[in-house]
Amino acid sequence: MKILRTSVLAALLLFVFYAVLIFSLLTSFEGRGFWEVFLASDTLFAIRLSLFAATLATLLAVAIGLPAAYALSRKNFFGKKVVDTFLELPMIMSPIALGAALLIFFNTRIGETIQSRGLLFVFEFPGIVLAQFATIAGLFTRLMKTALDEITPRYEAVARSLGSSAWQAFWHITFPLAFRGLVSAMILCWAKAVGEFGATVTLAGTMAFKTETMPIAIFMALASADIPKTIILILILAGIGLTALYAVRLLDKRTQVL
Amino acid sequence: MIQISDLALTAGNFRIDHLSLDLREGVFNILLGPTGVGKTLILESVMGLRQIQNGQIILGGKEIQNLPPEKRGIAYLPQDLALFPHLTVRENLRYGLRAQKKATLDDENHLDRLIEALKIRHLLERYPQGLSGGEKQRVALGRALAPSPRLLLLDEPLAALDPSLKNEIQQLLLSLHRSLGFTALYVTHDLEEAYLLGDAISLLIDGRIEQKGTRQEVFIRPKTAKVARFLGLRNLFPGHVHPSSPDGKSIVIDLWGREILLPAEQAVRSLTAGEKVILYLRPEEVLVLREGKPVKEALRRNILEGGVSRILDRGTYQWVLFRPAGLEVQLEIHLPNYVFRNLLLQEGQTIRVAMRKESFWVIPQISG
Repeated sequence: MKILRTSVLAALLLFVFYAVLIFSLLTSFEGRGFWEVFLASDTLFAIRLSLFAATLATLLAVAIGLPAAYALSRKNFFGKKVVDTFLELPMIMSPIALGAALLIFFNTRIGETIQSRGLLFVFEFPGIVLAQFATIAGLFTRLMKTALDEITPRYEAVARSLGSSAWQAFWHITFPLAFRGLVSAMILCWAKAVGEFGATVTLAGTMAFKTETMPIAIFMALASADIPKTIILILILAGIGLTALYAVRLLDKRTQVL
Repeated sequence: MIQISDLALTAGNFRIDHLSLDLREGVFNILLGPTGVGKTLILESVMGLRQIQNGQIILGGKEIQNLPPEKRGIAYLPQDLALFPHLTVRENLRYGLRAQKKATLDDENHLDRLIEALKIRHLLERYPQGLSGGEKQRVALGRALAPSPRLLLLDEPLAALDPSLKNEIQQLLLSLHRSLGFTALYVTHDLEEAYLLGDAISLLIDGRIEQKGTRQEVFIRPKTAKVARFLGLRNLFPGHVHPSSPDGKSIVIDLWGREILLPAEQAVRSLTAGEKVILYLRPEEVLVLREGKPVKEALRRNILEGGVSRILDRGTYQWVLFRPAGLEVQLEIHLPNYVFRNLLLQEGQTIRVAMRKESFWVIPQISG
């Protein structure tokens, strides 16, 4: 029992740590000017850009990560362990390093060819999406693989023996069973993309009304020593992130009830 | 006839080569073998889930080894049943009909008959997680049989059940098979289950079919010592064919210094003089003679005297270990409880036993 009590204490301590951080923001927050900052055109642009880019990056991560996770979960193939290890690269590599790697890539011959064909990434909107995608794709694939691993492949085997093609078995059986896992992974990755700074700032820069996502807006407000605006932007970003994460918890709760 | 011939497949370091297996249509075929010999791999290959390296699988006169699983008409019932948890019982049952676009009146009537036979009508709107173990078994069987498959593969579906439920589902399988007459290939390592369910049994040991036949043929007349050992047969004694022996109709086996005359058909194959054999004496066929009672002429030739070294109560029968006087062997005798009670046997008691010649089976030590 003692170990349980200690564990609960540790959890509470963590909560207090983060709560104090948010609370310290609130103590410096005067209340006045919230709506003014919130409704300012640059803030609304930053919110819109963040939400749009994060949604696009998440959809891209799903489009590539879902089949990749399925393959990693269901198939043994040459180099599987290497691929699996590389998925964790964004988690162990600093986002700035990831952004720098992307920036350097676009300075190589292949990168320059891509850019010269009209698909501009460096200091452009696609750069934000790519930086966010690079940060979340591995995480999404890892989360989806875990969700798929929990679904026995025998469901599909039985479905196929009953007359379903491989695609139909996936669509009618595995996909509905993995749906909650998929939505959870999407929300988590989306929240991470919304808050992504390091890779984005390195690849897309800090251009107001162009590449100014919410984290970049915070960075720019702080750099110009506008503390009240910085706090409001942090609170907005925290609000978006916490709402998304709470949605995941609600989803998990529903899964447990079922 | 469903023919699997010259099958070769690998899974990691495990390899099966030149495996051939014939399944009779309309009967309950059993693939019996110890765990880890590749029974499930064979099932997966037949179903099309595993790529084979070589071989042919012929079903309904057509080669199916290159067809995808959904085109083979083979239903599969795995050990964990794999009922789709997000679908109701009704949706689970109808899954195959929907996937195969079977919507005729006959198909509906067939499903209705199955629901009736399996006694699951009251469960149709429920989800699998709320069902008992037995109900899940019934639903899984119904789901597999609903699209009228040409072959039903069952991969040890009863292995995890408690004895009473196992017995109930075995009876259900038998009656369902009797009424519907489907072709089944049932994989198991359970000897009792194989004996109870199997119309035709194929014994898989060390990656090859060691013996096939009816349950009587496999369990009472094992072809090799390997089969006999796998079946856990007791009373296997080494002997050899007496030189004076073969006249075509009978053979004489030297066992423990005595000559045992047997009809030639009680050996796996024709034997040569001096050939080493293993003599199998069925434990339930050994007679314990009562003191003072006259012994039939036919039995007098093979009577042994010795002591009861141990008695074990096995519940449904008594297990008596008998040591013949002057011999370093031990005979196992299985006695029905009522016989045992009448005999009043005790450990250490001296008794006489008779071995009927029809209770012997001769297995050559080198199979040929």
